[in-house]
Amino acid sequence: MTTPAIHADGLVRDFGPIRALDHLSFEVPAGIVFGFLGPNGAGKTTAIRTFLGLVDPTAGSARVLGYDTRREGDRIRERAGALLEHHGLYERLTAEQNLDFAGRIWRMSPGDRRARTRELLEQFGLYARRREAAGKWSRGMKQKLAVARAVFHRPPLVFLDEPTAGLDPVASAALRDDLAALASGQGVTVFLTTHNLVEAERLCDLVGVIRNGKLAALGPPSTLRPRETSTVRVSGTGLDASVAADVSALPGVLGAAIEGGELVVHLREGERASALVSLLVARDVGIDEVRRDRQSLEETFLELVHEDGDR
Amino acid sequence: MIGDILTVAWKEWLEFRDQLLRLRRGGLSALVVLVMLGIFTPIQMGPLWLTSPLMLGYWPLLSSGMVSTLIADAFAGERERHTLETLLASRLSDRAILLGKLVAAMLYGLVFTLANVVVGVVTLTIVHWGEGLQAPAPSHVLYLFSLVTLACSTLAGIGVFISLKASTVRQAQQTLGIIMMVLFIGPVLFIQLLDGDARVSLAARLTTMGTGRIVAWACATLALLSAILIAMGMARFRRGKLSLD
Repeated sequence: MTTPAIHADGLVRDFGPIRALDHLSFEVPAGIVFGFLGPNGAGKTTAIRTFLGLVDPTAGSARVLGYDTRREGDRIRERAGALLEHHGLYERLTAEQNLDFAGRIWRMSPGDRRARTRELLEQFGLYARRREAAGKWSRGMKQKLAVARAVFHRPPLVFLDEPTAGLDPVASAALRDDLAALASGQGVTVFLTTHNLVEAERLCDLVGVIRNGKLAALGPPSTLRPRETSTVRVSGTGLDASVAADVSALPGVLGAAIEGGELVVHLREGERASALVSLLVARDVGIDEVRRDRQSLEETFLELVHEDGDR
Repeated sequence: MIGDILTVAWKEWLEFRDQLLRLRRGGLSALVVLVMLGIFTPIQMGPLWLTSPLMLGYWPLLSSGMVSTLIADAFAGERERHTLETLLASRLSDRAILLGKLVAAMLYGLVFTLANVVVGVVTLTIVHWGEGLQAPAPSHVLYLFSLVTLACSTLAGIGVFISLKASTVRQAQQTLGIIMMVLFIGPVLFIQLLDGDARVSLAARLTTMGTGRIVAWACATLALLSAILIAMGMARFRRGKLSLD
């Protein structure tokens, strides 16, 4: 059995009276993209700081790449890469110099540093502007450069703290594609915190939801998304108010209405749609599609993080 | 370890070089200082500029003053620009980060003095054309650069200590400014407080000691002070606390 990239066991971190991490226990297998979701102040950044050995847990323990975060933080930092809350780039330095500094820190040879700089900047589409000061760049470009710096020394584990925060949708999508390419192409374990649920759904193999320092849910994005809802949508021809009224009268139907040209039917929990379809066929409705609504990951996320009614 | 220290110092120098190369961001003031101290003052003082024992106090004070502008930025600046946590999350040891910043600041003080002395020598040689190269005696050069190095490391030690604690660069610069004022004015005030006889006796004692012994005592004191300050800085460097600030 391979060692998990991260193993947290009853991790607690207090800041005075505030409990940032509350008995957090989970495991991140090596080689996957793990999404850590949670609202602001849920404890995501504290978790990353703890895993990097930058802050000690108040109680409990964590092992990252097999090393204890309390005693072997330097070994973890030697092997991991990180893009933290802020991009952490030296804005007076050029993109090339920022990456070169990272390479020097990780004792890469000059030739390797040059080759890696070219490889990553080309991959991120930044090579042509490598000699510009990073401070002159757009936020999206800086984030890409910061990701390049985090993976520069080919670490087996990378922490990315909200890498697409504050980016416009186009820049986010571009960075997401780059991250996906990195994760699949280089086999690194990526620990990603995000607010962006589409990002988590598209990128992550495993998702953890944190709320008030506690792990609220853990699983693949597909299993976190609850099954189908009890709302059925029918599209086609011949759908009108009289059809909706007939459908409403069916046993097991809580209500039906025409919305945006579609027939929207709310069924009782566990009720099947067969009687509804039979009725529509009998009423000579030209059915194009019958589908059940699925709850989005965002709805699931909101449900999980506000479960205690703290919405 | 030495490689890591040099890596941090290299980064500090790159940032500083960028500042120097841009006239509006510091280059112009550096040029003005060079003209004033490396050209104007030697012309005014003549060859005494090279030989006067007073210059052995003048350059360490000036160079440590220049170091103070750089060292205030060491940690407070990284914190202000949100680069500190990323640096702390790297594989660099506490010692390498701290000493790298100290070395960069000290080198700055040394290069500042060296540049001015070289420009001054060239200026004096041109002004006194025909009298050969106007250069200070090797012993004078040795005294000068020993004192400058140790004065810079002492100031860098104080600066690191303050910069670790300050939340902004401005706060660090203000605190350092006050400390520098006390350090510079303190000896003058001390001499002012002495009565006439004591002043004469102090002057006589210093004269009998000779430049070499005075420099040796000053170097030993500065070396001890900077060692204590660097040790205090190391003790204060707490990665966990710094990353939470």
